[in-house]
Amino acid sequence: MKRTTLLVRDILDKQLVDRNGRNMGKVDGVIIELRDDKPPRVTYIEVGAITLARRLNSRLAEWVKSQFTKVRLARSEAYLIPWSKVRDIGIDVEIDMNAETCAAFKLERWIRDHIIRHIPGA
Amino acid sequence: MRKLLEITLGIVTSIGGFLEIGSLSTAAQAGAAFGLQLIWAIVLGGLCIIFLVEMSGRFAAVSKHTIPDAMRERFGFNFFIVPLITINLVNFLVLAAEIGGICISLEYITGINFKWWPLPVAFLIWLLLWKGTFGFIENGISFLGLVTVIFIIAAVSLHPSYHDIAAAVIPSLPQRNEPGYWFIAVSILGASITPYLMYFYSSGAIEDKWDKSDLGMNKVVAGLGMSFGSIISIAILILAAFIFQPIGIQADQYQQLPLLLTKIYGYWGLILFAASLGIACLGASLEVSLETAYMMAQGFGWNWGKNVHPKEAARFSLTYTIVIPLAALLIVAGINPLKLTIFSMALTSATLPIAVVPFLLLMNDKNYVGDYKNGCFSNAVVLFIIGMAFVLAVVSIPLEIAGG
Repeated sequence: MKRTTLLVRDILDKQLVDRNGRNMGKVDGVIIELRDDKPPRVTYIEVGAITLARRLNSRLAEWVKSQFTKVRLARSEAYLIPWSKVRDIGIDVEIDMNAETCAAFKLERWIRDHIIRHIPGA
Repeated sequence: MRKLLEITLGIVTSIGGFLEIGSLSTAAQAGAAFGLQLIWAIVLGGLCIIFLVEMSGRFAAVSKHTIPDAMRERFGFNFFIVPLITINLVNFLVLAAEIGGICISLEYITGINFKWWPLPVAFLIWLLLWKGTFGFIENGISFLGLVTVIFIIAAVSLHPSYHDIAAAVIPSLPQRNEPGYWFIAVSILGASITPYLMYFYSSGAIEDKWDKSDLGMNKVVAGLGMSFGSIISIAILILAAFIFQPIGIQADQYQQLPLLLTKIYGYWGLILFAASLGIACLGASLEVSLETAYMMAQGFGWNWGKNVHPKEAARFSLTYTIVIPLAALLIVAGINPLKLTIFSMALTSATLPIAVVPFLLLMNDKNYVGDYKNGCFSNAVVLFIIGMAFVLAVVSIPLEIAGG
């Protein structure tokens, strides 16, 4: 079935869900590749605090970036999810990946392994 | 039969969960200072929260979105950051006030000053959430919250004039102390129209997987639950009008509040008052803490849920683990819990447009609620009441601060 999907209205800021139904962040950004003599195409979904900060203010983005690299929590750029991994766009955007092994889930894993795990009862 | 049971449970938990330190202390101060005159504010606030809770249940059941999730998706991150920060800030102050309420109730019972209690209380709240048991204890706490019905019984036993009560449902202008009158009206509206309640309700509806077949139940629960809840607030106002006003007590010190029940029931009145306050504030503290974590998780796309194991939702669990002790520290630092309560309720009123207007737009968006969108009437009622609360707040909060 063919549906019209609007990039900003229907995809940007939507919930991302992995193949096991786990929440793995939001569509914080969408990257479009501009090509010579060919129509532009959507290539990646961007996820992460750096992308979000950039949407607000570029200086804020630089600051977040430097903080993230300082604690070696992230590479110095945003996490990218290839557009080819998108399976369905409905209430959520479903991605054919496993959140556990995905870079976009790094902060969740880091907090779990470095903080949550050390609190009794967890 | 199962539906009937669900409806009963829903109503009971709404009544048991309605009262918290905000509605209790604002109603008590209103009755103490202005007799029955401010009943209209509780009625208007109650009416507005009935509409809003019904809408948030309908929104979740039809769109399958929580409110923060949809708000970000529809209006974009750059807008979403504004309600996110505002609501979390107000929630933080409200959480501190509720923790203060539990500490005060412990002081009533043990005689140990409330300032010793915030950290143990914060630990208890955190532990209940950390163990992932909230889903199980939620209904239990709400049932215990039915003890607050004692205020209705007490108010009826004073034989108030029902004619006077009915007359006070219509707003009237104050004869004296005008800034004080409007400020208390604003605090009452803020205490009744609590955004955290409606956001929390929508998360529950998503977790319980509501669909269109639940809409009837949603209407009944929102209508009856919130009405009965408001009646408890009105009962407290009546008690304060009868007990505090004649002897000139302002109800601005928490030590005075138990008199509402001890005057009638003696020692048992103190126990009942402490139990009502403690249970009501514990329920509210759990909800507000969770709501802060929900708002972050739903806004940023993390895993969330009231029964999830902390390891399954690390960022969600970390959020309430940080927020609860921080809020308790406000009370440890010596902020007067009652003043904090009244202030955060007034602040709630001032921020209502930010928390409610985007939600109203969603309730009118066919992409989300299709044929179940709001009618003109419910839009008008909610807009009118929050508009009034906002204007009164903007005018009266500076006056109150200037006047000390």
